[in-house]
Amino acid sequence: MTVDQPTTLRRRFSEISPKDLIIRNVMVIVLVLVICYFTYRSARFATADNVLTILVAAAPFALVAIGQTLVILTGGIDLSVGSVIAASAMSAAYVSVRNPDQLWLAPVAAIGIGLVCGLINGLVVSALKVPPFVATLGMMTAASGLAYVIGNGAPINGLPSGYGAFANTAFMGLTIPVILMILGFVIIWFVLKRTTFGLHVYAVGGNANAASLAGVRTGRTLIGVYLLSGALAGVSGLMISSRVISGAPSLGQGYELDAIAAVVIGGASLFGGRGSVWGTLLGLLLIQTLNNGLDILVVPAYWQSIIKGALIVAAVALDVWASRRGRR
Amino acid sequence: MTHALSVQGLKKSFGGVPVLRDVSFDVDPGSITVLAGENGAGKSTLFKIISGQLSPDAGHVQLHGTALEAAHPRAARALGVGIVPQELAPYSDLSIAENLFVGRELRTAGFLLKRGAMRSRTASMLAEFGIDLDPSTPMKNLSVALTQIVEIIKATSSGASVLLLDEPTSSIAETEVERLYDIVRSLRARGVAMLYTTHRMAEIQAIADRVVTLRDGHLVLDEAVDDVTPSDIVTSMIGRELGQLFPDIAAPSQVTRLKVNGLRVRPSNNPIDLQVHAGEVLGIGGLVGAGRSSLLKALFGAQKTTAGQLVVDGQALPAKLTPSAAIAAGMAFVPEDRKGEGLALGLTLEENFSLPRPDLSSSGGVTRTRKRRAIARGLADKVQLRYRHMSQPAETLSGGNQQKIVIGRWLADEPKVLLLDEPTRGVDVGARGELYRIIASLAESGLAVVLVSSDMPELIGMSHRVCVMSGGNITGELSRAELDAPDAQAKIFAFASGDHTEEQATSPAPTAKDSSS
Repeated sequence: MTVDQPTTLRRRFSEISPKDLIIRNVMVIVLVLVICYFTYRSARFATADNVLTILVAAAPFALVAIGQTLVILTGGIDLSVGSVIAASAMSAAYVSVRNPDQLWLAPVAAIGIGLVCGLINGLVVSALKVPPFVATLGMMTAASGLAYVIGNGAPINGLPSGYGAFANTAFMGLTIPVILMILGFVIIWFVLKRTTFGLHVYAVGGNANAASLAGVRTGRTLIGVYLLSGALAGVSGLMISSRVISGAPSLGQGYELDAIAAVVIGGASLFGGRGSVWGTLLGLLLIQTLNNGLDILVVPAYWQSIIKGALIVAAVALDVWASRRGRR
Repeated sequence: MTHALSVQGLKKSFGGVPVLRDVSFDVDPGSITVLAGENGAGKSTLFKIISGQLSPDAGHVQLHGTALEAAHPRAARALGVGIVPQELAPYSDLSIAENLFVGRELRTAGFLLKRGAMRSRTASMLAEFGIDLDPSTPMKNLSVALTQIVEIIKATSSGASVLLLDEPTSSIAETEVERLYDIVRSLRARGVAMLYTTHRMAEIQAIADRVVTLRDGHLVLDEAVDDVTPSDIVTSMIGRELGQLFPDIAAPSQVTRLKVNGLRVRPSNNPIDLQVHAGEVLGIGGLVGAGRSSLLKALFGAQKTTAGQLVVDGQALPAKLTPSAAIAAGMAFVPEDRKGEGLALGLTLEENFSLPRPDLSSSGGVTRTRKRRAIARGLADKVQLRYRHMSQPAETLSGGNQQKIVIGRWLADEPKVLLLDEPTRGVDVGARGELYRIIASLAESGLAVVLVSSDMPELIGMSHRVCVMSGGNITGELSRAELDAPDAQAKIFAFASGDHTEEQATSPAPTAKDSSS
């Protein structure tokens, strides 16, 4: 992601107010400080191998965090992505066990389940006007149930060895999930910045009434973001189950919360209309760096949770403080 | 005698831009001082400093001779400052009594509410101001004017002796303004010092004792109201002679652009028939709640209708109209509530400009940024927008400039019909004149304009023809000749209040009959 940054950033910064500069930099500074700390504490941290490890671990989270960014920008929230991961992983595993020679069915099943769940979310939110929190809470429970139904309550094992190819094939040292993560960020950045759909996403989140009176078809926009969120969760589910070459109904548990945390750390407003995928990328890197660094330092898992929770809140508090200062 | 409020040498800048430059003036107890000035002149900043929400860079504020030390709302309140903001934020589901006592509830045993006592205290406070309302009425059932009055009572009942009123009449119906004046005058009689902002000249003459004008952060006028003329005040605000506020608009053509046949917003209403010609400004008058906004929204497909047909340039619009279909047919709509329905305030100017017609600056859904920026800049020039750069958020502009975006964004592609709902509400007099000229030139370029307004001079000054609504029906129509007659305002009021029965009640919708072509 450092390749073409200098030119785009310089052009962007010239139009950005000092306030935005401060806000953007606070989270970068936090991330740099965290990286410095781990580098200082462990020689194993700042190695190319370890950076790759962080990216591989980050990829499945990244895909759902990207979808979550879109949903949160419209002022909604998608609590169902964790369960959708499980349901799509199980369905991909299910079709692969039965058709070991036709592995192309796996991504079709995984993404298909994701799209169906997303479509239902979008319709319930836009047509029935059910608040997104409730609509996706219902989907979270239902999709989790679906995952158990598919596997009859048990994990699906005995998958063909080719099933692992989705997550483990590498090009130029980067595995498919990492490549998808990078593509996902670039594509969604482009969509948000440069397409009519992206403008509508911000407009619906910024002021749904005004958007609708300006002719924006708000219902379609909402269905669009939930579809994308669902599809990305489906891809994520396939990646996770492919990595371990099995499907388990408990996969993806809690992913929705990490995804929401990444988006919020990235400076997005839960009320919609404000945020960016770059912010989400920063938030994601912060969380994943913490996971990885604390593992390297052999911090016990339960303590890791406490430290992570505290740091997430501290980072957002700092962001709020910085943006207040920026406004004065 | 000590002044109730004394402001000395106040300076404040934001990010290096001075907003207040050495402002000093005094307000005496039992007097009303109108703080005049265009949007962005520094009035809000001054209010925020006096009420302790901001600290000045230099200078100080004294209340009854005591300096306001800490810039904290509580410190200001302790010294007797009360503020009634322009955007009221009542707890709309709670009762009047609960609203009045929030934060200083009457309690027993430290935590149990004395509801009965609060209700009876509220009743007596309301009675003092001659208002007959049940204290347990939920706030949401009150009109804007009454909500405003409750806020004023709340501020003064907690001991405010210096009251800051930020455009209290900007969203009140004309008929209710007198009620507010009565309250304000009775507070003056009790010795409350009031600092009051308004954009209405008539209001300054009706209630003010003094006028203080800010322009670009400078204090440019501080006079007793009897010593200055309205044009002195306007000149002090805008720094030049205003000239004619309402431009002359050429006579409309005979070509019908918008035709409304038998439109019913509610089944109980009479069907509405209207015709608007190219180049014509059709004014729609009436009281708040007369159904004017619903009618405009119905024309734009943003409000369900039960019957009726719309025809634009001879083409019938679909019966189930949506805003996007209305836009495709060449309609443009400027809603009444700028912040709630007009703009996405967090989006940039450029994004707001491109919102109704993103297709003009994109191909295959992909935005062509250079083209989008060029279009937005062209529109900004067209409406004389004052801005720094296209990527600043819309919320950083003043109200008048925001309104220019809401109008200007429709001009990217030539619209055919422009629907305006209170286009100059909360807009200062300088920007108002610019908006009028923009509307006039749009009409002259051949648009059909429908203008809903509660501002009588605006309605009479801008319209070729005025229809008056009451209770969801059109109750009367005034031609240009009738509008020029001295009794025009009285006639409009009579139609609006439904008093005008003899000649008009026979025909339910006596509209556009004179110009049927």
